[in-house]
Amino acid sequence: MEETNFYQEYEVFSKKSVKAPIQHQFSLLAPNEEMALSMALENFMRREDVLDVWVVKRENIRRMTSEERTNWTKRLDNKDYRKTKGYGYLRQKWKEKEQGMLDEKEIMSWKEVKKK
Amino acid sequence: MYNYLEYGSSDAPRNHEDPEQYDRFMARIEAGEKIEADDWMPDDYRQGLIKLISMHGISEIMGALPEKEWVPKAPTLKRKLGIMAKVQDEMGHGQLLLRVAEDLMKPYGKTRKDLIENLLSGDLKFHNVFHMPTKTWADAGMVGWLVDGAAIISQTNMLDASYGPYQRALQRICQEEVFHAQHGEAIIMALAEGSDHQREILQESLNRWWPSLLMFFGPASADTTGSSKQDIMIKYKIRKSNNEELRQAFLDKYLPRVFSLGLTVPDETVHYDEEQGQWVYQQPDWDEFKQIIKNKGPRSKERLRLRQIAYENNSWVRQALSKEVVGS
Ligand SMILES: [Fe+2]
Ligand SMILES: [Fe+2]
Repeated sequence: MEETNFYQEYEVFSKKSVKAPIQHQFSLLAPNEEMALSMALENFMRREDVLDVWVVKRENIRRMTSEERTNWTKRLDNKDYRKTKGYGYLRQKWKEKEQGMLDEKEIMSWKEVKKK
Repeated sequence: MYNYLEYGSSDAPRNHEDPEQYDRFMARIEAGEKIEADDWMPDDYRQGLIKLISMHGISEIMGALPEKEWVPKAPTLKRKLGIMAKVQDEMGHGQLLLRVAEDLMKPYGKTRKDLIENLLSGDLKFHNVFHMPTKTWADAGMVGWLVDGAAIISQTNMLDASYGPYQRALQRICQEEVFHAQHGEAIIMALAEGSDHQREILQESLNRWWPSLLMFFGPASADTTGSSKQDIMIKYKIRKSNNEELRQAFLDKYLPRVFSLGLTVPDETVHYDEEQGQWVYQQPDWDEFKQIIKNKGPRSKERLRLRQIAYENNSWVRQALSKEVVGS
């Protein structure tokens, strides 16, 4: 039997809770998907709370190359126009008009509205 | 393995390195950036890491194999479960670390198969402590407490290592080692507070393990065994401290605890020198150390045999799971 191509590389991801994002764990070698999943549980989930586990063959992931990563981190750092930070002056303006600013804290608190 | 021991000869040709690229690499390391598997790295960094991490990974496995033998012999169900969980962790550590080594070896066309073959042929060394015999249940405790303790000292020293994948693996490993430390403490505490016989086997075990524990960190300088690559690992910010500093840190943390249990070490000269600010101790036999890591230790052959048996016994599993039709 040829054992050279036996192992394939899988990346392991997991999710701790409903609210938590999927998190990369590590990689492992396994001969197929089923083994990869059961090894992922054995290797990484012996103690921790976990709701979901993904295994993805590494060759199916198009990740950034080393060069792409370097260039990406070098991109324009002035992105104020894209962030709320660039609009912070509004706080003072609203204050003058005796109004509060609709900032992230305020807007994210609008989950519930008054019932009639 | 948790510190650097040179073995074999490097089989990869040295590239002509671009000095500019090298400077950029060093600048990244100095700035505390993490190097990833597909980033450019100098050959001696790659080769140093392959040796360090493959030895570390294979030692986790070579340590777990004899440790699993304690499961049926452990005195209570709780102890069986505890040591089984620890063995499983150690196998997990081996799996993580071999992955890190394999990604580094890829440019040389090497795989896990090469690692296992190198182990069986004697080219890939495993840590000195796993060449030693165990006799009594006190040894299971001593290994968990002090061998894992020594391993924790050297592994935590690399928690900020410049190589990203290794550094990330070590975070998980060290977290699990906290459980190993306490698991070992629980065993020795029960013996230390037990009957005269239990205290006797505990002391006898420590006496036997003492030289191996000192050897664990490797010789203080290259002149002792003629080979030590500790400096390059420090230069590249893989580890922070040299062998002797780590040994001293181990003695700092553990000797007061050893003495507090009423135990002694088999070295009458051991004492803390306030002026020098360090422990004074008798050197272990470094010639013996050299023999041990050349697989000429008391249990080297048996341990390799265990690995070989595991490899052979499980070959049908690999065959059954292989996608390819057998014989094609
Ligand atoms: Fe470990
Ligand atoms: Fe451990």
